[in-house]
Amino acid sequence: MSLYLRQVGVVVWKDLLLELRTRERIAAMAAFAVLSGVLFSFATDRSVVRAQDIAAGLIWMTIVFDGLLGIGRTFHIEAEDAAMQGVLMSPAPKDAIFLGKAISNFALLYAVALLVLGVFMLFFGLEIGSSPGAVLLALGLGSLGFVALGTLFAAVSSGTRMGETVLPILVFPLLVPMVIYGAGATGRLLAGRPVAEVAGNLKMLAAFALVALAAGAGLFRFVVED
Amino acid sequence: MSITGIRRAGTVLAALGLLGLGYVYWLSFFWVSTEASQGIVQRIFYVHPPAAWTSFLAFGIAALTSAMYLWLRDERLDWAAQSAAEGGMVFGTIMLTTGPLWGKIAWGTYWTWEPRLTLTLLLWFIFLGYFMVRRSTENPDQGKRFSAVVAIVGSLLIPFIHLSVVWFRSLHPEPVVITPEGPSLPGDMLTLLLTSVGVFTLLFAGFFMLRYALEGLRHELQQRARRAIA
Amino acid sequence: MIVAAEQERALAASVHESVGTGAELVVEAKGLVREYGAVIAVDGIDLTLVRGDFLTVFGPNGAGKSSLLKMLGGMMRATSGTVSIGGVPLDFSDGEWRRRVGMLSHQGFLYQQLTAEENLRFYGKLFGLDDLDRRVRARLERVGLADRAHFAVRKLSHGMRQRLALARALLHDPELVLLDEPYTGLDPAAASVLRGVLQELRADRRTVVMVTHNLAEGLALATRVAIQVRGRFAWQGVRADIDELRFERLYHQVVDDGAGVRA
Repeated sequence: MSLYLRQVGVVVWKDLLLELRTRERIAAMAAFAVLSGVLFSFATDRSVVRAQDIAAGLIWMTIVFDGLLGIGRTFHIEAEDAAMQGVLMSPAPKDAIFLGKAISNFALLYAVALLVLGVFMLFFGLEIGSSPGAVLLALGLGSLGFVALGTLFAAVSSGTRMGETVLPILVFPLLVPMVIYGAGATGRLLAGRPVAEVAGNLKMLAAFALVALAAGAGLFRFVVED
Repeated sequence: MSITGIRRAGTVLAALGLLGLGYVYWLSFFWVSTEASQGIVQRIFYVHPPAAWTSFLAFGIAALTSAMYLWLRDERLDWAAQSAAEGGMVFGTIMLTTGPLWGKIAWGTYWTWEPRLTLTLLLWFIFLGYFMVRRSTENPDQGKRFSAVVAIVGSLLIPFIHLSVVWFRSLHPEPVVITPEGPSLPGDMLTLLLTSVGVFTLLFAGFFMLRYALEGLRHELQQRARRAIA
Repeated sequence: MIVAAEQERALAASVHESVGTGAELVVEAKGLVREYGAVIAVDGIDLTLVRGDFLTVFGPNGAGKSSLLKMLGGMMRATSGTVSIGGVPLDFSDGEWRRRVGMLSHQGFLYQQLTAEENLRFYGKLFGLDDLDRRVRARLERVGLADRAHFAVRKLSHGMRQRLALARALLHDPELVLLDEPYTGLDPAAASVLRGVLQELRADRRTVVMVTHNLAEGLALATRVAIQVRGRFAWQGVRADIDELRFERLYHQVVDDGAGVRA
C-alpha cells in the first residue's frame, strides 16, 4: 500500500475513532433524522397528498439538513488544541488529508442517510420498490457529493467569524443538481419504476460527486494554508 | 496601465455606457416596432437578456481571475475578481427583477424554473456567499482565498446545475436569436438587442475598471499609512 | 548602539565564516515580510542558520515572533521574501522538506479524545515513519509518559500534555526544531524534561529556533540571540559574547526604543 493511501487511511481511522469515542455527531444526527421524520409526518396532510409523492423530496432534504448539522462540525474537533496545524505541518499531501476527512464524513453521513430512509419508510408507510440496490446507490452517490462539498466548505466556514451560519449559503446553491437528480431517482424507484428509467440520474449523481471530490481535493490546500 | 490610467479609462467607458443606455431606452420606447403577440411589455427584452449576458460575463471573469489569483498570488487579480463579482451581482439583480416582470405578462406567472433565470438566481447566491466569507475573516488574505475557492467551485459545478435544471423543467421559449437557419427576430429588434448587449458590456467594463481602480487606490493608501507609521 | 552595530557585524562575519568552512546550511530566510491587512507582523527579516545553531528570539508581545516561526516552519506564507530549508525553497507543496521540521507551540496539536500513544501513532503514520512501535515507546519513555500511554489526552495534566506535545514534535527526528514559548505554563517536572530534551538536541547539533520572553530559559542553551521588535530583528548577537545581566539591560533598552537600535 502506498504512503498516500496510508496517509488517507490514518486520517479516516483517526476521525472514526474520535467519533466512536465521543459519539457526539452520530447521536445528534441520528436523533435529528428520527425527529425530522416525526415532524414531517405531522406536517403533511395525507388527505391532500399521497405519502409516496412527497417522501423522496423529504428524504433528501432531511439528509441535506442532517448533513449540514454533522459535517459542518467536522473541523471543530481539529480546532481543539490546534490539532489541524500539526496535521498540516506533516508531509501528508493536503488532498490526502481532505480525502481522509471526506471518507470518514461519508461513512457517517451514509449511515445517517440509510437511517433517514428507514425512518421515512416506517413513518410514511413506504415500500422500497423493486430495486432497493439502486435506491441505496442513489443515496450513496448523493452522500458522497454532499460530503465533498460539505467538507471543503466546512473548512471555509470554520475559518470565518460567521461559522456554520454561512455554510448553507455556500452549499445549498451547489446542491441543486444533487437534490434534483437524487430526489428524482429516489421518487421513481420508490414508486416501483424500473432502474433503467433512473440510470441517467445515477450517472449524473456519480459525475457530480466525482467533480465535487476532485474540486475539494484540489482546493483544500488554499483553504487551510495560513 | 497605472491605477490613474485605469480610473480615467473607466470613467470614460462608464460615461459612454450611460449615454448608450439612454440611447437604448430611447430606441426601445420610440423606435423599435412593437412585438405582435406580447405587445408593449416585450420591450423589457432589450434590458433583460443583455443584463443576463453581462452578469454571466462578469461572474465568468470573477471565477477566472479567482483561479489565477490562487495560482499566481497577485493582489491585482483579487481586485479584478472582486470588482467583476460585484458587477455580476448588480447585473444579476437587474436580470432577476426584469425577468419576473416580463414573465408575468408573457407567461402569466412571475416565476418559472426557466434554466437561465434559475442559473442567474443560483449564481447570485453563490456570489452572495463569496462576499460573505470574504468579509468575515480576521485575516484579509484568508478571505481572498476563501472567496476565490467559492467562485471556482461554483464555476465547476455550474454545468451540473444547468443540466439538472434543464432536466427538471423547461417552460421558457427556446432561444430566438441564434437558430441554425440564422436570426429569426425581425431586423430592428435584433439590431436593438445587439446594441443593448454592446452598451451593457461597455457599462460593465467601465464599472469594472472604476471598481478596480478604487481597490488599487485603497491599497496605495494603506501602503502610505504604513510608511507613515514606520 | 555602537555595541549593537559591532555585534551585528561580528555575527555576520561569524555566520559567513561558518558557512564558508562547509557548515551545513539548514535555514536561509531572505527579506521575510508578513502582512495581515494593514498590520505588518514581520517586516524584513534575514536569517541564516547552520547545523548546530540554537537561536533564541526574544521580544515583547506582538513583535511578530510567532509569525516568523510559522513562516520558518512552512505553516504560513510570507507576503514577500523567501525561506529555504536545507537548500530547498519552501513552495508550500507537501514536499519531503516537511520531514525536516518539528514544531512545539504553546498549543499541543493533540487530539483530546485519543490516548497519548494513539496521538503519536497518528502523527507517525502521517509522516510515514517506519519502526513506529519502538519509536513511540522510546519517545513516551523519554518524556516520562510510558505509564500513561493509554490515557486519553484530556485526562492528562497540562504539564503531561506539554511533554506529550514535545514527544510529538520530535517524533520524526527533525533537523530543525521550532519552539514557540515552550516554557509557558509548564509545571517544574515538564520544564525539567523540556530542558533535558533541549540539551540533547543541542548536543546532537540539531538546529533550534526558540521564541520566548523568558530571559533565563532563553539564554540557557542559545548559541545565538536576537531581539525582535515590531517585526524586525532590532538586535542580534552571539551568545558567548553576552553577559546575562548586561543583556537584560540591553533587552529593555532595545524594546523601549521601539524601532530598535537599527538606526
